Amino acid sequence: MAAAAAAAGQLNLEESPSWGSRSVECFQKLDQIGEGTYGQVYMAKEKQTGEVVALKKIRMDNEKEGFPITAIREIKLLRKLQHDNVIKLKEIVTSPGREENEQDNTDSNNRYKGSIYMVFEYMDHDLTGLSDRPGLRFSIPQIKCYMRQLLTGLHYCHVNQVLHRDIKGSNLLIDNEGNLKLADFGLARSFSSEHNASLTNRVITLWYRPPELLLGATKYGPAVDMWSVGCIFAELLHGKPILTGKNEPEQLNKIFELCGTPDEMNWPGVSKMPWYSKFKPARPMKRRIRDFFRHFDRHALELLDKMLALDPSQRIGAKDALDAEYFWTDPLPCDPKSLPKYESSHEFQTKKRRQQQRQNEEMAKRQKLPHPHQHSRLPPIQQQSGQAHHPQQWAGPNHPMNVSQPILSSGPSHHQYGKQHGPPGGQSRYPSVGNSGNGFYPDRGGQGGNYGAGSYPSQGRGQQYHGSGMPSTGHRGAAPVGYGVPPNYSQSNQYGGPNAGRGHNVMSGNRNHQYGWPQ
Amino acid sequence: MAANFWTSSHCKHLLDPEEVDIVLPIDKERGISVEDFKLIKLHMANYIAKLAQHVKVRQRVVATAITYMRRVYIRRPMTEYDPRLVAPACLYLASKAEESTVQARLLVFYIKKLYSDDKYRYEIKDILEMEMKVLEALDYYLVVFHPYRALPQLLQDAGMSDATQLTWGIVNDTYKMDLILIHPPHLIALASIYIASVLKDKENTAWFEELRVDMNVVKNIAMEILDFYDSHKIITDERVLAAMMKLNK
Repeated sequence: MAAAAAAAGQLNLEESPSWGSRSVECFQKLDQIGEGTYGQVYMAKEKQTGEVVALKKIRMDNEKEGFPITAIREIKLLRKLQHDNVIKLKEIVTSPGREENEQDNTDSNNRYKGSIYMVFEYMDHDLTGLSDRPGLRFSIPQIKCYMRQLLTGLHYCHVNQVLHRDIKGSNLLIDNEGNLKLADFGLARSFSSEHNASLTNRVITLWYRPPELLLGATKYGPAVDMWSVGCIFAELLHGKPILTGKNEPEQLNKIFELCGTPDEMNWPGVSKMPWYSKFKPARPMKRRIRDFFRHFDRHALELLDKMLALDPSQRIGAKDALDAEYFWTDPLPCDPKSLPKYESSHEFQTKKRRQQQRQNEEMAKRQKLPHPHQHSRLPPIQQQSGQAHHPQQWAGPNHPMNVSQPILSSGPSHHQYGKQHGPPGGQSRYPSVGNSGNGFYPDRGGQGGNYGAGSYPSQGRGQQYHGSGMPSTGHRGAAPVGYGVPPNYSQSNQYGGPNAGRGHNVMSGNRNHQYGWPQ
Repeated sequence: MAANFWTSSHCKHLLDPEEVDIVLPIDKERGISVEDFKLIKLHMANYIAKLAQHVKVRQRVVATAITYMRRVYIRRPMTEYDPRLVAPACLYLASKAEESTVQARLLVFYIKKLYSDDKYRYEIKDILEMEMKVLEALDYYLVVFHPYRALPQLLQDAGMSDATQLTWGIVNDTYKMDLILIHPPHLIALASIYIASVLKDKENTAWFEELRVDMNVVKNIAMEILDFYDSHKIITDERVLAAMMKLNK
């Protein structure tokens, strides 16, 4: 095998090998960094060059319809899109022994048999994994830096007539140079303004899905991605996801509570949307973004307000968003390279850490001990002091954690891949797409969105988000735990913390919802 | 279609006519001539179009599938990649790439319905397997630009909207040749419009001159198309059959 690789290497000196011609044997798998029904994602090293890459497995063995269309979409679009803020697909490799006529098919019990791998540049983190890190807080210049890169990448996609359709934190990958790249184009597709083709509205992870899709629109455009960007923006500033419905009606309701109810005045044509009458709110509600997020700075609030416009035609586009005052006023976005380097984290991994934490908490509960110091995401640091905040709080063997969470600091080598499915009491980060019998994306299940290994995790992130519900003015300054959070920030707390504030938050206090969720 | 043709793989991979008509050595040994080669590809283009009619997909899908098929045979020998399997596999793949997915079993159903000849008989697993080989042969480049997109606007601009159907038909016919591998799609569109204006006796010289394209290229493409129409008349089923026979082991 080594000889074959060397020979291939000599041939490849001048021209990159044709895709699909090389074997996955050219890579040494190091660690799993994502998981989905679509396939696993591995961190791997190219044997010849030592270059670290991410291998996304396209599982072929139980495909009745050949090469998965999600993979086709992704390959097709990624071969076309070349941008610093879009993940780079480097190559496609196959596992040996797939074809009968292969020469060196001696390894009969090859476990990669029947698989194709997409080779991506390796990225150390995804935004969700990074922001879920206990104790980690982004600075304002850092948030501006990420947001600007997100918008730049998305603008590039949109001018190239590609809708991403699954913008969310775990699909935004970040490397240790501070670069942010859009990943997982498995739901993306090209659109054209003249061809008014109907598109499916069963896209975008529920929490990031815009009102027009929830109201059944089948003609839509780049504005759908911009809504998701707005959700992420608010999430970064607020410290936790802002619109956390567990099903479509509830998601819409949460949107209405925050953004007001749509009517023909603020959204001409809304009453003709397919599901408008079905979901029409009983009573009109006022737009309360500026109230809910009044702790945001003026320019941030102004931009967020435009991103979360109910009417897609009034929603700000990526280009205009980049021109917003927010990015051009102090504190300015920082240089990506100036950002701190964090130990690798992907949602897949942080999730596992949290599972361990949960077990820990269970233990503590049983022993009637005080709860270990739990965390939720922290809102950003207000001062521009920038880098290296609280380095001691970064998880990882090199950074001793807060002593009350000793098990949390699992390095990449501690993962237990057998265990991630359905831990007791595990909560979904994202409820599954759609309400019912949604056959559209059979291969989109699974978990760990990074690199697109399944965008609708069937179980997922920590439960702390569930108790929290919407931000409420009721618990401003309600004794945030540790970390010196500015008093103006509400901090959620799943253990009986103030999660009410708004009576009809049906999620409050119910941590085992996902069993009733439509998958 | 999304993105810009000029930065696309399609554009970068346009070939010279000589590169397209190369019969690979292993095929030559079987006695497949350049003429046979062209005939078989033509026959397969027709096969794809026929199948597509039954499974009901858009013209775009047909055009992309034929383009895939023609690209495959630049790199792969027909004696190893049986056109009678490659053709449906290309249609299958193109239906996914163009977002009008067709189930493999439906394809197999219509193949059986259309051809009683055993040599066309392939099962689902054969198509799925060939799909993978096609993907590799294409080097996973799946985006194809077609002349159709520019057509309505160009026709309107030339004041020839009434000739839409005629021109569309001519563009369809260009896929019976290798033009899509050689020329940028908008020039193929213009050549088709050129032919349509001649057929319709429409004086369009001024309009063409304003376009700032190399009219020589457009006229050459148009000539190629007209030559093809001429030679197409004398193609007989027997000749096609004889060429196809050379594929059989």
